[in-house]
Amino acid sequence: MPLIPKVGRRKFRVKLVLLTIGAFLWIGVILRMIPLWWMFITSIKPAEEVYLIPPTLFPHRPTFAAYKIIFTLSGYISSTGAYIAHPSWMTYPMYVYLKNSLIITFGTMILQIPITALAAYAISKLESPRWSRILFLFFIGTMMIPGQIALIPTYLLIQHFPFPTRSIPYIPFTKIKWPAFNLFNTYFAVIIPAGFSAFYFLLFKGFFDTIPDSILNAARIDGASELSILRRIVMPISKPVFAAVSYFSFSAAWNSYMWPLMVLQREKLYPMSVQLARISRLLSGQTMEVRGREGLTEDLTKMIELGWSWNGLMAMSIVESIPVFVMFIIFREYLMTGIKLRGFK
Amino acid sequence: MKKIAGKESQKRKSRLAKIFMSPAILIQFFFGWLPIGMAFAVCLFHYHILKPEEYVGLANFQDLFADPLTFQVFKNTFIYTGMRLAIFLLPVVVSILLMEMNKSTIRIMMYLWFFPIASTASIVIWKWMYNTEYGLLNSILMSLGLPTLRWLNDPRLVIFCLILPGILMYGPGLIYLATLQSIPDELYEAAELEGAGFWSKVWHITLPRMRPVLAMMLLLSIIESMSVFSQPWILTHGGPNNASMMVVMRIVDLAIYSMRYGKGTALAIILFAILMVIIIIQRKYFKEDIDR
Repeated sequence: MPLIPKVGRRKFRVKLVLLTIGAFLWIGVILRMIPLWWMFITSIKPAEEVYLIPPTLFPHRPTFAAYKIIFTLSGYISSTGAYIAHPSWMTYPMYVYLKNSLIITFGTMILQIPITALAAYAISKLESPRWSRILFLFFIGTMMIPGQIALIPTYLLIQHFPFPTRSIPYIPFTKIKWPAFNLFNTYFAVIIPAGFSAFYFLLFKGFFDTIPDSILNAARIDGASELSILRRIVMPISKPVFAAVSYFSFSAAWNSYMWPLMVLQREKLYPMSVQLARISRLLSGQTMEVRGREGLTEDLTKMIELGWSWNGLMAMSIVESIPVFVMFIIFREYLMTGIKLRGFK
Repeated sequence: MKKIAGKESQKRKSRLAKIFMSPAILIQFFFGWLPIGMAFAVCLFHYHILKPEEYVGLANFQDLFADPLTFQVFKNTFIYTGMRLAIFLLPVVVSILLMEMNKSTIRIMMYLWFFPIASTASIVIWKWMYNTEYGLLNSILMSLGLPTLRWLNDPRLVIFCLILPGILMYGPGLIYLATLQSIPDELYEAAELEGAGFWSKVWHITLPRMRPVLAMMLLLSIIESMSVFSQPWILTHGGPNNASMMVVMRIVDLAIYSMRYGKGTALAIILFAILMVIIIIQRKYFKEDIDR
């Protein structure tokens, strides 16, 4: 509710204050729009125009060529008649990275939300008080501990699943190694560790705690099974919390960068975030990959000849941002109600 | 009779609860607690490339303290965290001011101020804006007749350059807006009747009501900036001259590119200890807020 009272709003001084506030907010909005405008404008520039000094604020010849290039990625025939393949920095067309991002994001959501919600429901409504206190600490204890400490052990764990060590240990008294799964360079390496989230567990539990036991008991007396109580009573009431968690879970997985960078080290598996960062490094001339400086300049020249440089990267950024924006629009109403839930206090 | 039935049904419910919880327990054990526990073992070993690992005691920590880069990364991280805290209240101020506008303006502005874009995308945009030759910022400076800056290539400017995107691109504004809207109007009306002005309403009603959310966001913001990774990693990769190398970047560097798992984990444990101190202090002073 506005803090400046309605009755006073006619006075000149108050009007001036309101006008200043409005101006401040609109200036902020404009400042915020500049990078986004610049992203959009760059993405619809043809390759020659990207490197103009001074840059054009409105493209002379707007074109969607950059979008087409990143989604098709074919080579070209040079003036000497030789076929020039695409540089090694982007071996696959955009939809491969898009697909990886989608698999990782929806895989995470499909695994994480039901597992976390079921655990929270069990703790909140089913388990006996003594056990639920112990298990509650077991579940949220990791939230109190900064996650970076587990970074390297998890990285080792991923490479031979149940053993967080450099190499697989031997079965005692034999020369046989324990069976172990190598999750490295698979989508599971990203999806499974995210399968349970202490933070969403708290959100869910906070909400389930507000559902009165008497409703559930009434259903039990009427002979409803626990599963149908969950499906017919708990799920419909809990829509806002599921919506809020879905949104958080989606954006966390979609934006995740560090962990995919560490455990997915094959270009075919890169999600969009990793690939975007990689291309940006190429375009600003920072290289740490095998080809070195000459290879880099050569690749850059090739890319510009093919018709994309920063315009292609900005097109990729827009493609990456669309799902985030769409999810924001879809969940906005739920978010505003969902955040007010007790768990998030 | 009824009591026995109650016990019986609690048993049945407990059994069902165990089934419901089992996947979560498995994942929480293997990917939650096991790596945390292992960290305290990993930091005591030296991992050779070909030979099996070797117990070295606290040598990894000695190694870290002998390394000037360790102090550099902590210094950088603390500067970065300090600057992030300096702008912590900005989205709060924006949200409070936003509430003064009329309904339709709030709706539009809420979209314009707080709609999100993918985080890597926003970092990459700024990398393009900061570009020294063709970037927007330098060409604006040039057209104003000012000397151009080297932005990310300038060791003194680089940490500030890492902060700037954060001011404009992200912000927990929606959470603040939701909290502000959940404050009952009657409180303000009552204060108005008693003649409270704008500032006293903010000071006595708005801020106390937002206190739990602010406390939690402050803690999250500190933890997040102490463990910042992707922004500096993508924008500068630690350069120039390690002026923007952060703690977690160093950990990842040690783990992936040098295979120094022991040393990396030792560094992570030092970071962990610092963060734990901050968390404990915060919980002590804001205890009643977070636990309620």
